[in-house]
Amino acid sequence: MLIPRRVKFRKQHHPGRSGAATGGTRVTFGEYGIQALTPAYVTNRQIESARIAMTRHIKRGGKVWINIYPDRPLTKKPAETRMGSGKGSPEWWVANVKPGRVLFELSGVSDEVAREALRLAIHKLPLKARIVRREGGE
Amino acid sequence: MADHKLDAQLRTEFGKGAARRARRAHQIPAVIYGHGAEPLHVNLPGHQTMIAVRAANALLTLNVDGEEHLALVKDVQRDPVLQIIEHVDLLTVRRGEKVTVDVPVVVTGEVDATAVATQEAATISVEAEATHVPAHLEVDVEGRTPGQHLHASDIKLPSGVSLLVDAETMIVNVSEPVVADLGEEAPAAEGAEAAEGEEAAKAAEEAPAE
Repeated sequence: MLIPRRVKFRKQHHPGRSGAATGGTRVTFGEYGIQALTPAYVTNRQIESARIAMTRHIKRGGKVWINIYPDRPLTKKPAETRMGSGKGSPEWWVANVKPGRVLFELSGVSDEVAREALRLAIHKLPLKARIVRREGGE
Repeated sequence: MADHKLDAQLRTEFGKGAARRARRAHQIPAVIYGHGAEPLHVNLPGHQTMIAVRAANALLTLNVDGEEHLALVKDVQRDPVLQIIEHVDLLTVRRGEKVTVDVPVVVTGEVDATAVATQEAATISVEAEATHVPAHLEVDVEGRTPGQHLHASDIKLPSGVSLLVDAETMIVNVSEPVVADLGEEAPAAEGAEAAEGEEAAKAAEEAPAE
């Protein structure tokens, strides 16, 4: 699972959720991609789950790219704890995804297999998404 | 390549307010520049422009207030979510003039059953006559086995088109399929990851915060 090797500060403010993606909005490495249509915090578990769903479907052949990285820690206070006493402990690592961002890319498989693999992967993600093709491709 | 004829209107007002008004009126703000001339700011008809810029490096013949301009589509700005065209950059060209353009590379054929083809370059930089820019360049990977990569020199170029990149630039990488991690050992791996995460957190805690 993706996790930062070391961080400068363990606890951060919540990442901003407003606005749209300004970069990484096109399919650049592969032939097909998953593009986010809503904002979301995607955890490293969800990224791994989506990757496994894709690679299981394409079996041998094909190549998968993960374009997002869960580099933002989210904290959580323990259950049944009174308020105060400082910020909770880090619980999740998330990627802050904004609409328009291409999350995964895929190549080396047929159109039908690629679309089904990406559809399965979308179901593992906490956002609305669509399948996009590289511009200029046939 | 098909030549598209469009009627453009000179823009008199600028800024996001004017641009948004133009888009609401089904027009697309555009700029025409090149050859050291002053840039021309125009509005293009929305639907026709959308059809014209579907192909890469489209050649447009623009009628701006009775004056004809030949231009290549240099850049298209799209809204990443709505996919509407927000702005178009057009480069003035002359007939017979040589231009440098990035042409899409299309892979055809099927590699050997023991191999996987990965396209390393989606476009390739070539020099061509402005009026005869190829829509795409094809590379055939039929029957290629692992290790038989395709380089820029393997692309068959139409006459009048010359390569601008190194001939050894890899276009298609033909390799053996990599056995992907299917996450079969998910519980064990998860435990290891969690421990790793704690370690990372501990290490981060110990590190002096600046």
